[in-house]
Amino acid sequence: MGKTMIQKIMQRASGKEVQIGDRVWCNVDLSTARDFGGPNCVLQFEEVTDKQGKVWDPKKIAFTFDLQAPAHSEKVSNNQKIIREFSRKQGIDKVFDINWGIGQHVLLENGHVKPGDVILGTDSHMNLLGAVGAFATGVGNTDIVASWILGTLWFRVPETMKITATGKFAKGVYMRDLLTHLVGTLGADGMFFKAVEFYGDTVENSTLADRITLCSMVTEMSGKVGLIMPSGPVLDWLAARAGDEVRQRVKDLAADADAPYCQEVSVDVSKLEPLASCPDAPDNVKKVREVAGEKIQQVHIGSCSNGRFEDITAAFEVLQAGGFQVSPEVRTIITPSTREVMKQCAEAGYIQKFLEAGVVFTNPTCSLCTAEHYGALPSGDVAISTTNRNFIGKVGKGSHTYLMSPASAMASAVRGVITDPRDILG
Amino acid sequence: MSDAILRGKAWVFGDDVDTDLIYHNKYLAETDPKKMAQYSFEYYPGKEHFAKEVKPGDFVVAGRNFGTGSSREHAVYCLKEIGVPVVLAENYARIYYRNAINNGYPVLFVNGMSDAIKAGKIQDGDELEVDLAAGRIKNVTKGTEFHGDAVTDLEKDIMGAGGLIEYLKAQAAKK
Repeated sequence: MGKTMIQKIMQRASGKEVQIGDRVWCNVDLSTARDFGGPNCVLQFEEVTDKQGKVWDPKKIAFTFDLQAPAHSEKVSNNQKIIREFSRKQGIDKVFDINWGIGQHVLLENGHVKPGDVILGTDSHMNLLGAVGAFATGVGNTDIVASWILGTLWFRVPETMKITATGKFAKGVYMRDLLTHLVGTLGADGMFFKAVEFYGDTVENSTLADRITLCSMVTEMSGKVGLIMPSGPVLDWLAARAGDEVRQRVKDLAADADAPYCQEVSVDVSKLEPLASCPDAPDNVKKVREVAGEKIQQVHIGSCSNGRFEDITAAFEVLQAGGFQVSPEVRTIITPSTREVMKQCAEAGYIQKFLEAGVVFTNPTCSLCTAEHYGALPSGDVAISTTNRNFIGKVGKGSHTYLMSPASAMASAVRGVITDPRDILG
Repeated sequence: MSDAILRGKAWVFGDDVDTDLIYHNKYLAETDPKKMAQYSFEYYPGKEHFAKEVKPGDFVVAGRNFGTGSSREHAVYCLKEIGVPVVLAENYARIYYRNAINNGYPVLFVNGMSDAIKAGKIQDGDELEVDLAAGRIKNVTKGTEFHGDAVTDLEKDIMGAGGLIEYLKAQAAKK
């Protein structure tokens, strides 16, 4: 019987044959923490090792600051300092301070992610790095501390679901809509404890940004990781950043033709329409057209799901078609995922046009996912966001959020009410 | 594992309880687990008063996929510190599950709990008796019984040591 991608990855990482359901100790290629979770890890490590401990390998540890970058509260500011001082003491060089952006994206751009790598992070959306075939996962601070001591971590070998997407998206429909469709049909525990492999010509022909989007809500379906083996231009991009070794990894770790899948799902994306995750859960999915016309007070485009150049380009195109002006009744905020993406937006002339249109264009952070940074919502407000969770009060007590694609979000910002982007794009 | 029977009131939640509802992102910067207790369920509609009214020994009862969402260990610490001795849910989202195990914090897998909650067979304020070792849960108020499975495999060993760090120390001491 053949093996799935995650089985091959865990075999490589543990040095032993693995069967589904086994518990294995995997070598960790990269153990990371954010300015959220990170200080908890540092304080716990110091306590557990009586402040004497040395991390197993400072070259395999990274910190990224993205909760509040720059910090606007003294507490977070002190937390960031705790991380800086620990890193200096331990000889950890990979500290991406307040001027980089969202952790997973920063690590990817800087060549620290390869197919088959086992990567930990104090954020549940670390696993979107499965978009380049890495087994990345969010964990709590105790797991991180254990990895700093041992350099390995325990995992259960999961079953794998296979999802195949075929066809081309219609105008105004994007990878985010395929993702929302999956969340709506499979539900909040539709991928419970499973790994997922994505196939099909829709995926093969997609950009890195789109692959990241597709893998970015496996967590919201309670899955472990969504995996896509890099190919074509995505593989070339990755090799340029992380080294040619990635090409051999792809050959070694691709799933076998007779790999066992516990469930198989197929989607013809050409039939999809713009979709929304409606208040107050990601799997409360309706067509945008069905909820069109509702007044909104804020639109926030960005996040680890949809904050790359291609995502902002899609929003730009809708803004352009809509006359380069957002509704004065809607606070429209755009947050690129990284400094590199922000530079791309500047070079493309977007920022100028966004500013003229009334958009707030921010530096790169995780901001739009918390009530503790710009874009926090007052009670009673209804907002649209391109992030990945919309539980009640997430970004402000008593507020409600719709999740949509950047194009749908911008269309709504232009008109001041929830709007199908096809109504603006034509 | 204690042989004692635990007694307390039930606090009942639904399916898919997300970590922002257990422990909101507003308080992520907190690093002292003892200070996290006060924020438990502050954002859960209808249970905002939980932290003020819960008594040590009371139980959290929930449906499927409890703790879905964020990897924040705060969401386990806050319940542990406020004195909830064990969570009684149908099942748990994987990162929440890991965080509970890694802290030696008991979770039982209670078959049928999700449906029972929907059917009103267990409600807020019901008196429960829990025999943790046997996995027996008695709803004294309603006269019903549930069975909960404890963890197995490596997780059982980690729980037995009291958590992951304790487990690693014990393993290192053996060498």
